[in-house]
Amino acid sequence: MISIQAEDVDIGTLVDRAKQRGTGAIVLFDGIVRDDGIREMELEAYQDVALKELERIAEDARKKFGLLSVDIIHRIGRLKVGDNILVIIVGAGHRKEAYEGSRYIIEMIKAGVPIWKKELRKDGGRWVPGEHHHGRIS
Amino acid sequence: MKVRVRFFARFRELLGTDIVAEPPPGTALDALVREIAGKKKEGYDAIFDEKGAFREFVILMRNGKRVEASDAGKTVITDGDEIAVFPPVSGG
Repeated sequence: MISIQAEDVDIGTLVDRAKQRGTGAIVLFDGIVRDDGIREMELEAYQDVALKELERIAEDARKKFGLLSVDIIHRIGRLKVGDNILVIIVGAGHRKEAYEGSRYIIEMIKAGVPIWKKELRKDGGRWVPGEHHHGRIS
Repeated sequence: MKVRVRFFARFRELLGTDIVAEPPPGTALDALVREIAGKKKEGYDAIFDEKGAFREFVILMRNGKRVEASDAGKTVITDGDEIAVFPPVSGG
């Protein structure tokens, strides 16, 4: 499942679905709204382009690390402290591929998928600066 | 000729989004963005520097594909194009 959505996801169900006969390891990454003195967080996406890019990253990761399953769910809209922002579930035959595949996916998302976060504080809002000045999307 | 211009994040707050423009044939991407952004000084200043060049961090797309700022002057817009202009991404 590759999705950009406002709704939360049931991580347990996704992990269960990711298990196949050859699966020996599943790595779950759950990015969460941290309490940095913020009231809420607002997430915005260039939806069509971001979804295609997530699909491409998932496919690249499958091939590069021989992954058996990849799920990426990135949430948008208003989120509060403790909410899930990004859930990545990677299934592989062994832990090495699962860990490496998961790390690859999060770093690629950070580098170039057109999604933005805005921290909403009592005294106003602040767009979170990107880690990379230019994305990788070609 | 109709094209759609979409700004995101801070640029959207300053300039709006889903703007339908009707530029004359032969208009280049940089001229189109300059024309639309020029309607609001704060938005223009967020995207262009004092010399009128795209700021180094600005990302441009035409129909979902990246266009380097250095190529924007020779990228001619065609009917139905979707142009996106946005700051560095910060998802994840």
